[in-house]
Amino acid sequence: MGYNAATRPGGRLILSTVMATEAEVAALIVEALHLEVTPAEIDPEAPLFGDGLGLDSIDALEIALAVSRRYGFQLRSDDEHNGQIFASLRNLAAHIEKNRAR
Amino acid sequence: MSETAPLTDRAPGEVMFHRGSEAITIGRFLSDVAALAARLPPRPYALNLCADRYHALLGLAAALSRGQVMLLSADRSERRQREIAAAYPDLCVLADAGEGEGEPGWQPPPGALRVAAEGQGEDGPNPRIPLGQVAIIGFTSGSTGEPAAHPKPWGALVAATRAAAARFGLRGPAVSTLIATVPPQHMYGFEATMAMPLHAATASHAGPCFYPVEVAEALHAAPAPRLLVTTPLQMRALLGSGGALPPLAAVISATAPLAPELAAAAEAAWDTSVLEIYGATEIGSIASRRTTAGDTWTLYDGVALRRGAEGEVVLVDVPGMPAPVPLADAVEFQPGGGFRLLGRRADMVKLGGKRASLASLNRLLAAVEGVEDGVFVAPEDLDRNPSARLMVYAVAPGRSPGEILAALRERIEAVFLPRRVVLVSRLPRDPVGKLTRQALAELHRQAVPQKVAE
Repeated sequence: MGYNAATRPGGRLILSTVMATEAEVAALIVEALHLEVTPAEIDPEAPLFGDGLGLDSIDALEIALAVSRRYGFQLRSDDEHNGQIFASLRNLAAHIEKNRAR
Repeated sequence: MSETAPLTDRAPGEVMFHRGSEAITIGRFLSDVAALAARLPPRPYALNLCADRYHALLGLAAALSRGQVMLLSADRSERRQREIAAAYPDLCVLADAGEGEGEPGWQPPPGALRVAAEGQGEDGPNPRIPLGQVAIIGFTSGSTGEPAAHPKPWGALVAATRAAAARFGLRGPAVSTLIATVPPQHMYGFEATMAMPLHAATASHAGPCFYPVEVAEALHAAPAPRLLVTTPLQMRALLGSGGALPPLAAVISATAPLAPELAAAAEAAWDTSVLEIYGATEIGSIASRRTTAGDTWTLYDGVALRRGAEGEVVLVDVPGMPAPVPLADAVEFQPGGGFRLLGRRADMVKLGGKRASLASLNRLLAAVEGVEDGVFVAPEDLDRNPSARLMVYAVAPGRSPGEILAALRERIEAVFLPRRVVLVSRLPRDPVGKLTRQALAELHRQAVPQKVAE
């Protein structure tokens, strides 16, 4: 799994795994939290909490539940660089890509 | 000389905290308290922002022993810190040494005194503290959005702990382990996990305990008997994760009404009793019930309710508090001294364990530049759905929902932020300017079309 764009045998450019996960996680967040924004409107580099998307700890728990159902692993606070995981959609997607069981 | 009570009435050899694999005794704790107390600058107030529960307790005990008042704010945002610093300019800020825990990306303010367990011995002085000394000040969102302060004397804290210990069978000799998912700075988490090990046969658990997997691991690692101190939201998440839990003596829930269905599901899944606590920042915990056994609350020993002179308002007399405190909810007295909740007083909403009045939120909304008219609306299922959120309808030509949300974020706590901001050309006010329930329900139907079942 790479972070770079890959090319299909047919020559068509496809999204890298991480980019695809990013879009999928954005959709998951919007659905789990009933957000008014569309997945595409979530800035992948903006903070999810506080000043960015404005999520809080209730949302963190909802996201954790949705992630465990979809990807089969549990989020935790003492993960290495925990503060980084929710720092942006991009980081969360990368963390999921690294730890997913399905 | 005024009456006093010791910081702790437990024996030096008893365990009162678990940090990782380390069991901390009362003696070790008193040694850590003395070391921290010696480092506290001579200020009248200490704002305790420690996320590590043991550090938070050291901060409380050190402040108490120095006669300083601990300021208790579960909201650790920079905005709330600024508000508190404005009201209490002569304060010292306490934060965890090391990276600490808590909200992603949270950083302690520069200049904070870093709290660590630095005692050198296995014992220390056990100071006697005057019952009338203000031990803590808790905060609620006041009517203007500024934090409203609620002081609690040391005597009230000790009396509340002893009453809770009697109610939940925590007077020993077995030491129960308290595993809590609520922060130590929320009044419920504070009473149940910080005050409790000082005067009840309990040991609290320090360490991250937020996500379901962490809660399950903490419970498995804890010595029995185990009590899970949690909220409806966390209970639902833990049930949803489906992990097996070790035997639980009881699950205690507070901060939001617990739906009987959720309580029954938890009792069945974990083969335990789910007990609910009723309380508020202003009064602390005052009553409990077993949710599946009915809707009558039983008051803690020594607590009394009575009608105020103005009829609707109910006053509560709490042992150790200097004056009766008005209750935020409407209640119906039951024979035998219990009570039923008749729901929140219409204007009050409670989210994430915090209360605010819709009127005060509406005032803050009206103050947003460009908002000509606007209203916060609580969803119908607010009292049953632990993750329910508010909505805003606003008349604000030229402003976007995102701009309004950004402006509100500057003024109100995150849990009260509207999940949706819907812009409308006008609000359906009646001739005297009021918004009736029906008019708002109709507006809601138009703005949020019901999803058709697939």
